[in-house]
Amino acid sequence: MIGLQPTWLSAPLFQLKIDGRQFGRIIVGLVILGFLGLLAAGAAAGLVMALSQNRTRWVNHTYEVERHINAFRVQVERLESSRRGYLLHQDPLFQQVYADAVKIIPQELAALRRLTQDNPRQQTNITALESDVGRLEGQLSISMTDARNGLHDKAIADFISDGSVPLARSTRQLTNVMLAEETRLLKQRVADQESLFRDFYLVLVFSALWLAMVAVLSVMVILRYTRELSQSRDSLKELNDNLELAVETRTTDLRRANEEIQRFAYIVSHDLRSPLVNVLGFTAELDAAAKPIVGLIERAEAEAPQILTDEVRRAAREDVPEAIGFIRGSTQKMDRLINAILKLSREGRRNISPELLDMDDLVQGVADSLQHRLDDLGAEITIERPLPRLVTDRVAMEQIISNLVENAVKYLKPGRPGRIQIKGSQSLGRAVFEVIDNGRGIDPKDHERVFDLFRRSGAQDQPGEGIGLAHVRALAYRLGGVISCESALDEGATFRLSLPVAFMPEEMK
Amino acid sequence: MSEHQPVNILMIEDDEGHARLIEKNIRRAGISNQIHHFTDGTSALDFLFNHPEGPTHNGPALVLLDLNLPDMSGTDILAKIKEDARLRRTPVVVLTTTDDKVEIQRCYDLGCNVYITKPVNYENFADAIRQLGLFLSVIQVPEVEGLG
Repeated sequence: MIGLQPTWLSAPLFQLKIDGRQFGRIIVGLVILGFLGLLAAGAAAGLVMALSQNRTRWVNHTYEVERHINAFRVQVERLESSRRGYLLHQDPLFQQVYADAVKIIPQELAALRRLTQDNPRQQTNITALESDVGRLEGQLSISMTDARNGLHDKAIADFISDGSVPLARSTRQLTNVMLAEETRLLKQRVADQESLFRDFYLVLVFSALWLAMVAVLSVMVILRYTRELSQSRDSLKELNDNLELAVETRTTDLRRANEEIQRFAYIVSHDLRSPLVNVLGFTAELDAAAKPIVGLIERAEAEAPQILTDEVRRAAREDVPEAIGFIRGSTQKMDRLINAILKLSREGRRNISPELLDMDDLVQGVADSLQHRLDDLGAEITIERPLPRLVTDRVAMEQIISNLVENAVKYLKPGRPGRIQIKGSQSLGRAVFEVIDNGRGIDPKDHERVFDLFRRSGAQDQPGEGIGLAHVRALAYRLGGVISCESALDEGATFRLSLPVAFMPEEMK
Repeated sequence: MSEHQPVNILMIEDDEGHARLIEKNIRRAGISNQIHHFTDGTSALDFLFNHPEGPTHNGPALVLLDLNLPDMSGTDILAKIKEDARLRRTPVVVLTTTDDKVEIQRCYDLGCNVYITKPVNYENFADAIRQLGLFLSVIQVPEVEGLG
């Protein structure tokens, strides 16, 4: 687990570790923030557009007012110049222009009044303008009427004295004031417009910054989460690798230790047999040599009993044969034990050749081989078919089953009809076989011990060295299985063997 | 290879006790051929290949071979005997404590004529030796007649 907490995670921002759900929430939050930013930018744009349209209308309105003021000024100039022209030369065309101007001027004034309704200053100006223009028209119309009536001189005199020039100047000045007012308004409106755009740009910049921030945050969160994911993946992988390595190392150690024990057992048992051959061989020689001596003593007994003492008689008749008997018995037992170790060690080294086994046939074969003994004992074996089929070593399986069944037959309770049941089941890739008897049972404290080499349980009234179950356990382990025992005294025993359905050789694991 | 020469018995056995027991039982079976006893492989091979009385230069012989020797494996000696053109026909009886099937098979593959496990049960052992004696008497029939 070393190195799971890199230093960059200890920065304050990253002190919290993100799990999958938090990550989802954070990302959704950031996306919402991003959309809020976009929404704000959009709303600002819409608002600015609407406001700007309004401002533009007002700017246009100002231009419109200016246009009308200028048009009004043109008409006033036309009015005056057509009058002068007419005074100089009574051309009806001048009169026409004059009448035209008289007709247009009130229209322009009305338009101005309408356009500047909201502006009291302009309204006042217009009122002043109206009175000025009214007076001007009044003066002009006098000289025009005189000229039209042929009173040329009077008309000229009117022209000089009627004060139309100052009136016209006053009109011009008023319009200048009005134009100045409109220019002021225009300036103000343009400034408003500019400030609006400035605000709009501010909103845009702010939105852009906001979005950029959200984007950076999102990327950071995603990067961090991805890094955490890949880190935890890496550490998982490392753990996994280490685990495999550890398992492999231990398996190798175990196998080596096992091989060592096998070899040791083999060498020891083999080398122990050599001196045993001598002990037994020379015991037999001793026995053979004792016979003529005993014969001699018998002869002496018959022919010259006085030369014999009781000691000699006892030595020849009892002590020597007894000693030889004990030596022989013990040596033979030792040989059986050594052979058992040899057999177990050999079993451990034997090649396992897995094949598909029909356990019904195999178990039936074992039962058949014991039929004679079963008949003698009045016992019977029932096999609950079908038993699970297995892919495993036939010889090992036969030895396991026959050892278990033989044991069951061997330790039946005298006086109770023997019933031995063999059944099997299969689940999760393992097959379980049970050999159940109604025999004398095994004391629960001995349940582990019975599987040990040379250890037995209960009354020692049956032949055997305590090898069978040790052998069964060694074989079961070899096949990747386990064996256990359930029993109580006098209540029979159940031996349960659990094996993989298909044997897996070491190198394939 | 003269018919008049008796079969020499070469016993290659490192355990003095076993050697003595084997010899005793051979004698008991009524076989009186000379027995050369070697307790290690080197001297046995020297006798087999170089000794003037050895089977390479002289008369027929029978080899009693133990597999567990201090200086080499009995199977090495067996292989050497069976590889040599002059010695190939010499009968070899492997007499050892190993009853390992693989080992037995290996000996027969190398050309051993008889394989006998030294049984700890003495009666069986004596039986085996007597059978060996029978075997010896069979192969030495011409000599017996020749000596006759």
